Amino acid sequence: MITYIKDKRIKLDKTRNDALTTYHDPCNHCRKAERLFGHGYYEEPRWILDQCVQQWVEMYPNRQHQICCGGGGGTLINGYNEERIFYGRTKMEQIKATGASMVVVPCHSCHGQFESIKSACGMQELKVKYLWEVVADALVLPGCDS
Amino acid sequence: MTDTKAPYLMTDTEKTIDISKLDQDRFRSWPYSQDVCLTCGLCSSACPVSGIDGFDPRKIIRMVSLGLEAELVEARWPWICTMCAKCAVLCPMEIDIPNVMRGIRSLRPRNEVPGILHKGVEAAIKTGNILGLPKEDFLFIVEDVAGEIAAEPGFEAFTVPIDKQGANILSTIHNKLVNTHTEDLKHLWKIFFVAGENWTITSEAWEGCNWGFFTGDDRAMKLMIDRLAEQLTRFEIKNLMWPE
Repeated sequence: MITYIKDKRIKLDKTRNDALTTYHDPCNHCRKAERLFGHGYYEEPRWILDQCVQQWVEMYPNRQHQICCGGGGGTLINGYNEERIFYGRTKMEQIKATGASMVVVPCHSCHGQFESIKSACGMQELKVKYLWEVVADALVLPGCDS
Repeated sequence: MTDTKAPYLMTDTEKTIDISKLDQDRFRSWPYSQDVCLTCGLCSSACPVSGIDGFDPRKIIRMVSLGLEAELVEARWPWICTMCAKCAVLCPMEIDIPNVMRGIRSLRPRNEVPGILHKGVEAAIKTGNILGLPKEDFLFIVEDVAGEIAAEPGFEAFTVPIDKQGANILSTIHNKLVNTHTEDLKHLWKIFFVAGENWTITSEAWEGCNWGFFTGDDRAMKLMIDRLAEQLTRFEIKNLMWPE
């Protein structure tokens, strides 16, 4: 994705993503990748966000100390739903504290968890988008200036 | 926040343990360094589900060290844990706590794996995907979504490449994207189209999820990975994109 943007294979208009946004690091892309493969994907998604979102803010804590969404490891489908919502409460408080109306995430499990628990946490208005979704939303088609 | 209360917090699970049942050799062969725990409790402080059913990461690690197999295997806690590794990042002794949880999960009889997890694994072994979706239905769905993209202005020439020989990228598909969330197939495909990427999906072994990872089933996990590797070899594809 970074190559597409740097090589100008895709052109992005960040004014199309004008909601205040925050970013969640999924465990598998960040601390687990760092432990297993020696590289955590912390900065790459943040650079992509800089290219396609007008304004975004960090949660705290973030990167390797990011708080888990609560929906990984098979917990979305093991039936312990009440426990899973309870797990996610810390995460949702962390998102709420940023004041953002949209959270961007590059993981299907985290995405499913946020959508699933946001109402129970009083955050039904929160928009949840994939990282590649906000890129697609900002895509400028060839031959079009905006 | 009333819906996020946990009434089972701090459940009294203190039981008298018959010390003749302790078996400190039981899990000694596990390569996760569980026996060097200093009992500092950083893991438990970091974990959002410490306290449920009276368990927390430190307690589990101590139980593994003491070989309390029956209690660990029947406990719900190792399944409520998401294996997110926040505990492991903090552990001063670098104990691989998430893999300890996965090891405990692997000891459950398969018919006692909670929820639909093992059903999904069985369907994946049998059919190549967790849903048990037949190939013709899969192809119908992806072609249908491709048609919807092609109906959008600027995307008239869009088609979905299937089993393309020599593609640069093989993009796996999370089963929910050919089930309840087909709209979400479109984002990445549009980007590939505009970027002029040489990409493909495959008509078989397209599953992007590997529930054997969740259930501690190494055999099933490896089988699913082998099938993906087969697709890469068969169609001479250079890169695998596996976002799950």
